[in-house]
Amino acid sequence: MTARATAATAASGMARPQRLQAQGVHVAFGGIKALTGVDLTIQRGQVMGLIGPNGAGKTTLVNVLTGFQPPTQGRVLLQDRPLTGMKARDVARAGVARSFQAARLFRDMTVQENLIVAGLGAGLGRRAATERARDILDWIGCAPIAQTQCDGLSYGDERRISIARALAMGPSFALLDEPASGMNESECAALMQVISELPARFDCGVLLIEHNMTVIMGVCQRIHVLDGGRSLAEGTPDEVQADPAVRRAYLGEKAEKTALVI
Amino acid sequence: MQERGMIAVLEKAWPVLVLVLGLLLAVVLADAYGSVLMKRTVTDALIKIVIVVGLYIFIGNTGIVSFGHIGFAGIAAYFATWMTCCAMMKPITMTGLPDFLRLETYSLWFTALVAVTAAGLVALIIGLVLMRLSGLAASISTLAALFIFHAVYANWDNVTMGRASIVGIPTYVTLWVGLGGAVLAIVVAYLYQISAFGLAARAARDDEVAAQASGISLYWNRLIPFVLSGMVVGLGGVLQVHFMGTISVNAFYLNLTFITLAMLVVGGMRSLGGAVVGVVVLSSIADVFRRLEAGVDLAGTRLSTPTGTQEMFLAALMLLILIFRKDGLMGRRELRLPRLLGGRAAGAR
Amino acid sequence: MRNFLQVLVDAVALGSLLALVALAIGLVFGVMRLINFAQGDYITVGAYALVVPTASLTPALFLGALPVPLMVAGVLFVVVLLALATERVAFRPLRDSDPATLLISSFAVSYFLQHLVMLIHTGRPKSVGIGQALTTPIDIMGLRVPGIQVVTMAVTAVLLIALVLFLKRTSMGIQMRAAAENFQMARLLGVPANRVIAMAFVISGVLGGAVSLLLIVQTGTLDIRMGLMPVIFAFFATVIGGMGSLVGAALGGFLVGGASVLLQSFLPDGLRPFRDAFVFGLVIVILLVRPKGLIVIGAARERV
Ligand SMILES: Nc1ncnc2c1ncn2[C@@H]1O[C@H](COP(=O)(O)OP(=O)(O)OP(=O)(O)O)[C@@H](O)[C@H]1O
Ligand SMILES: [Mg+2]
Repeated sequence: MTARATAATAASGMARPQRLQAQGVHVAFGGIKALTGVDLTIQRGQVMGLIGPNGAGKTTLVNVLTGFQPPTQGRVLLQDRPLTGMKARDVARAGVARSFQAARLFRDMTVQENLIVAGLGAGLGRRAATERARDILDWIGCAPIAQTQCDGLSYGDERRISIARALAMGPSFALLDEPASGMNESECAALMQVISELPARFDCGVLLIEHNMTVIMGVCQRIHVLDGGRSLAEGTPDEVQADPAVRRAYLGEKAEKTALVI
Repeated sequence: MQERGMIAVLEKAWPVLVLVLGLLLAVVLADAYGSVLMKRTVTDALIKIVIVVGLYIFIGNTGIVSFGHIGFAGIAAYFATWMTCCAMMKPITMTGLPDFLRLETYSLWFTALVAVTAAGLVALIIGLVLMRLSGLAASISTLAALFIFHAVYANWDNVTMGRASIVGIPTYVTLWVGLGGAVLAIVVAYLYQISAFGLAARAARDDEVAAQASGISLYWNRLIPFVLSGMVVGLGGVLQVHFMGTISVNAFYLNLTFITLAMLVVGGMRSLGGAVVGVVVLSSIADVFRRLEAGVDLAGTRLSTPTGTQEMFLAALMLLILIFRKDGLMGRRELRLPRLLGGRAAGAR
Repeated sequence: MRNFLQVLVDAVALGSLLALVALAIGLVFGVMRLINFAQGDYITVGAYALVVPTASLTPALFLGALPVPLMVAGVLFVVVLLALATERVAFRPLRDSDPATLLISSFAVSYFLQHLVMLIHTGRPKSVGIGQALTTPIDIMGLRVPGIQVVTMAVTAVLLIALVLFLKRTSMGIQMRAAAENFQMARLLGVPANRVIAMAFVISGVLGGAVSLLLIVQTGTLDIRMGLMPVIFAFFATVIGGMGSLVGAALGGFLVGGASVLLQSFLPDGLRPFRDAFVFGLVIVILLVRPKGLIVIGAARERV
């Protein structure tokens, strides 16, 4: 309850943006076209899934949305405000937080300090940042490890803390890059629960990149499919599952014969 | 309940408290029982602590190795010299100085204040430019800054007397003044380290990318410690000239850079305690070698090690530490309140 | 015009010398991300090998007493041996450290060697007369050029060509280039890391020895800091050129050499003493505009 209160009031009084949009985004690395004309809209209050085979361009898209990768073409809008060309740090402060495929925690700090840094980065004072960090750690059940040094964390804890750190910014949008990779089944189920509660608790929109179809189908209101840098389909989980192009591309030929396993 | 609060405060202040009490004890002992030479050795070590702790503020918190900070010590030291030295000679030998320096002499407190501010200003100007860089490029450009300082001061004959020494600077730095400087440096470093700014700087050090994604500015969180450490190192420079009574530009060049860096590496680049421990260890070793080089009587014959052995030993020790104990004697930790006194177990901070 | 040509010759001669040192630094950096500050002390030790190790200020010649080919071979041998020894003892155990740590370690090695020389020869400068015939100017189309400048340029040209042939034609050279591009990848592809790195040090030793001889003929003075200025300038030359790029290192050497000679000739009198400050300032400017130097090679930015 307190986590929700402090996080929701954090967005400095201004009306929270309704959507985060990528419009006609192209990214090329030399000859490699990582993204070709991708349009994507994340609504606040929703969990949007982003799936696609390895190398599809999912991480690149998150990098574009968070200012780490300038698009070769196209733009990024937060509500009506263009984010393209802004530095990653300013995008973060505008309310777009992210986690990384490799957790990238601040290794020489404690868990709680990791979250405090994000709070400070979002513009909170030391005390408010500490309070928010405690609330979030309580909420995701990591309070017992709050004072643990991050270089000694288990893999699962590392991933959870990296999400918690993104949330500690009090973001309007949280973009999570494969948060469940490498987790075992029970950890995964717990994480699913956490993620599905995020939009309501933190009054934010979520973009979830995930290879585990159970997780994706279970928590997302909408799903966007990328393949080879192009958008293949977007829709509700049911629509996407039914889409023949998705089955062909993402699940491979085998999947056409066997039913999609959920 | 109140006892818990006390312990929390004690725990927070402990890393500084231990260092300060340790130094105090050393100074009291040296003052009471030490020879003149011993007193000078300890004072010199205290001044080195100011410089190395100053280095630590930047290097430890940002992870960027700076080779240029001794230049800030030099800047401050020359300011102190111009403001206090040799009222008779100054107008003749340093004709390039503006009148308010050439013809006037200032009080020591005011001088220290101005000199440290000057070092901070120069650090600010250099930092505004250099802190855009990361990693190796940043390190290299700090080295370039040191060379620029040296090239300018060694050739600015009518202001610095070029490579010659300037003598006649008032010497007021005793054991106790040295202790005051060291304590000030340690407290400043610790306050910065536990502040929100320090935390943000270490976030940028641990992971530049994740820090940016957390809304942390790499630039400002490097610039702040750069300036602060420039000022503390500058204070070290001021104490140094008022201890030696003379100054020459080569006193603030590669040798001092190397020695202070070696102290930091040996103690542990990522620990304030390490900065102090490194100075204590290397100063003690240097002292032993000084005695050996002066010669010792062994079974009736006088033996002495040749000059140069001390430096070779120092370099070898530094290499050994880099190879076998990369984080220095102190590792990445601070001295922690022992459990006996209510401190928490290792791993918690 | 003549004056300008004279300046140009000076610039190329100094540039050649710096290019040799810069190449040595760049080569080693390429294979192990080490900026080897001790390269300067290789030069110093090579020069001191010419005389008998004593504290005397007018020492008898040692390697310097041999006939020229043997003397050259002897100096190169000593410096190569020294370079290999430092690699084995100090740098190899640190191979996986970050570049800043490696740079610190090379400072330590440099400090060690400098004081070792001091221990043996004392810190006072000594004079040696070797190849003095080369210092008399020779007339080339109306320009009076000291013979040593011609020799320096010729030696640099020969060594550059030899190095290029080595890197392009021999399998060791190709492996070395591969390692400089991407060390981890090269290692996975079976490039023998130890041999390649050792080879880089051998070459840096040969280049260092050559510079020892050229310098000592030029100055006639042994000094424990004689390697310092060349290594500082060359160090910045490699940085300007682009760390790890050999073309960049050579280019940087000529640029820095050229810049200092030109500044020396054309700066107004009042500013001339501060020439070096301008050169180092140039380094900072170039780093700001191109943090990776003029010629960027290898993997670019870290992936997020
Ligand atoms: N910085 C970069 N430089 C060059 N190519 C890159 C870079 N980043 C990504 N790529 C290429 O762009 C393509 C898309 O990569 P991206 O990391 O976005 O895929 P992904 O969908 O996140 O894959 P995965 O599921 O493996 O994480 C890949 O071919 C990748 O090799
Ligand atoms: Mg990815």
